[in-house]
Amino acid sequence: MRKSMKKLLALTLACLMLLGLMACGEKGGDGGSGGGDTIKLGWMGSLTGDQAAYGKCESQTLMMLVEEKNAEGGILGKQIELICYDTKGDAQEAVNVAKRLCAQDKVCAIIGPNASGQCIAIQSVLDEYKISDMSTVATNEKVTMQDGVLKEYNFRVCFLDPQQGNIAGSFVKDYLKFDKAAVLYDVNDDYALGLKDNFIRVFEEKGGTVVAQEGYTNGDTDFTAQLTKIKEAGPQIIFAPIFYQDYIMMHKQARTLGIELPFLGGDGCASEVLFDAADELDGSYVINHVSLVDPTADAYRARYSERWDGAKMELNGYMAHDAFLLWCAAVEKAGSDDPQAIAKAYCEVEVDGMAGHIKISPETHNPIGKSGCVERIDGENKTYVFETYIAAE
Amino acid sequence: MQYFLQQLVNGICLGGMYALMSVGYSLVYSIMNFSNFAHGGVIMVGAYVGYFTLTALGCPFFVSFLLCGLGSGLLAVIIERLVYSPLRKRHAPSLYFIISAMGASIFLENFVIAAIDGTPRNFPTLFSNSINIGGISLGVDSLMMIVVSVVALLVLMFIIQKTKVGLAIRACSYSEKASTLMGINGDLVIFTIFLMGGVLAGFAGMLYGMRFIVRPTIGQVTNKSFVAAVFGGLGSLPGAIVGSVLLGVMEIFVASFNSNLRDLFVYGLLILVLVVKPSGLMGKVVEDKA
Repeated sequence: MRKSMKKLLALTLACLMLLGLMACGEKGGDGGSGGGDTIKLGWMGSLTGDQAAYGKCESQTLMMLVEEKNAEGGILGKQIELICYDTKGDAQEAVNVAKRLCAQDKVCAIIGPNASGQCIAIQSVLDEYKISDMSTVATNEKVTMQDGVLKEYNFRVCFLDPQQGNIAGSFVKDYLKFDKAAVLYDVNDDYALGLKDNFIRVFEEKGGTVVAQEGYTNGDTDFTAQLTKIKEAGPQIIFAPIFYQDYIMMHKQARTLGIELPFLGGDGCASEVLFDAADELDGSYVINHVSLVDPTADAYRARYSERWDGAKMELNGYMAHDAFLLWCAAVEKAGSDDPQAIAKAYCEVEVDGMAGHIKISPETHNPIGKSGCVERIDGENKTYVFETYIAAE
Repeated sequence: MQYFLQQLVNGICLGGMYALMSVGYSLVYSIMNFSNFAHGGVIMVGAYVGYFTLTALGCPFFVSFLLCGLGSGLLAVIIERLVYSPLRKRHAPSLYFIISAMGASIFLENFVIAAIDGTPRNFPTLFSNSINIGGISLGVDSLMMIVVSVVALLVLMFIIQKTKVGLAIRACSYSEKASTLMGINGDLVIFTIFLMGGVLAGFAGMLYGMRFIVRPTIGQVTNKSFVAAVFGGLGSLPGAIVGSVLLGVMEIFVASFNSNLRDLFVYGLLILVLVVKPSGLMGKVVEDKA
């Protein structure tokens, strides 16, 4: 009898522990009190997991901007309340978090999350609660349009994967004048697939040859088999539309295998973490939304660094800044914190952000006329060197 | 031919990494008859110890290598005391151990995320140079993994075959109950086992971090080294090494054929081994393999 009681107790404790695990990782947000004296803005993104560095920068940027805005008297005479949740880089978790922001916290708009897969996943929640989301760096086509149908409450401030694939293809063929390229990508990732397909299309249209296409699955850390195969095919550059930690591991293994070719990565690679492996990455390229070494943004970077104990700003900081500017403009245009009025106003306002002039197209909910920038990694000085701007269209 | 040899070397290097990790699994399994899934978490903590002693404290390589072993060894012993020991005291079935081990592993992962953060970190470059023999390249860090796993194996074999503690370990692996009746201190044997397994996990973590990257989810990589341990025969140390190297080589060749088939092959092999020859290549014959 006692033994079975103990078992029951153990089982209960185990269940509690599981619940605890599910609840942990969320921060901030002291419940939706719903009082009308603040304007509530929601943010979601990866604060833990593989993309934590991006999400952390995004949330910290918004916290800083909201603090600054509130110190100036807020917006429409009200203070802004920012509520941030962790999606753990998981699409399912993103849906849960989006529900929580919409139903419980009753925010007027959402900024984030910092990956396409999660943005695509939350569409049904946004439609249900009629609350808009402005995504920062989600570049997949399907974020705002699916099968030619516009998603009413999904917006973005960044360029798209096809455009990024175009930029990559044009850069390799027209700027570097290379004819042979290899592709190494994550076969399970929407982002990687989008970039890969468009790179190959543009590169081949321009007369280039893709000599090897190798895949791997998320979580793989050993790329030696694929890299050896690529080495055999003899490309001039390796296009790797993946995230930075894999980008680093690939470089380390490629150099060990005696492959001295440059790599070209998409915006998912652009991270300050790259410079921890500067020796191996020297000479490789990264496509980005803005130049991270642009001197006009020096003051902004300094503000961020001062607020967050010397933290370095990632790309997400620039994009979150632009998303926030758009949100402020839309709230002022709408004249209230009504979620639907804000969603409508997003297409009516224009702002000058960190990544140039931004106007959202009402037909696609994408910004109009963006270009991308390519930067080379200088391993010796641990910095990016600006190469060129390439039009995305 | 050169391509073939290069892939073979790649496979052996990958196998060397699995070997270092799977020895820890087999060690615990041989005495306690359960798979210690917390091993992955201990390896991950070892990698973090290595990273911080190198970067924050500026220790030379060998000092931080030893500190990794020490840190992880201590952690493994603490886990044993806090988690397994109470279960052992009331003779819980091995399923309870496995579940607790998984819990410990998830706990460690989340603990590191909470205490440090989830950002991947890159080790400072220590041995970036690679050896090139006739056009076949081999990383020094990969070579170290193989050497460390073989040396560790030899040391372990020596301890187990030639020392008094080793005799006790062997006795316990046959029958813990009978050995305890004969006056062997079972607690001490288990303490030794976890300490040795933990030290190896620390070395593995450090070498893994050097070759790849440090992040809280490293522990999940040990899933494949667990497959290697089962393939070689859980509970057999030479089996763990042989199984690991074979698995590494086969995996690389499958991946070089089509990288999408990689995990399909590895886990397919796990199922096949469990169905056809549960004792693996060199393992002792037991009914429950979990």
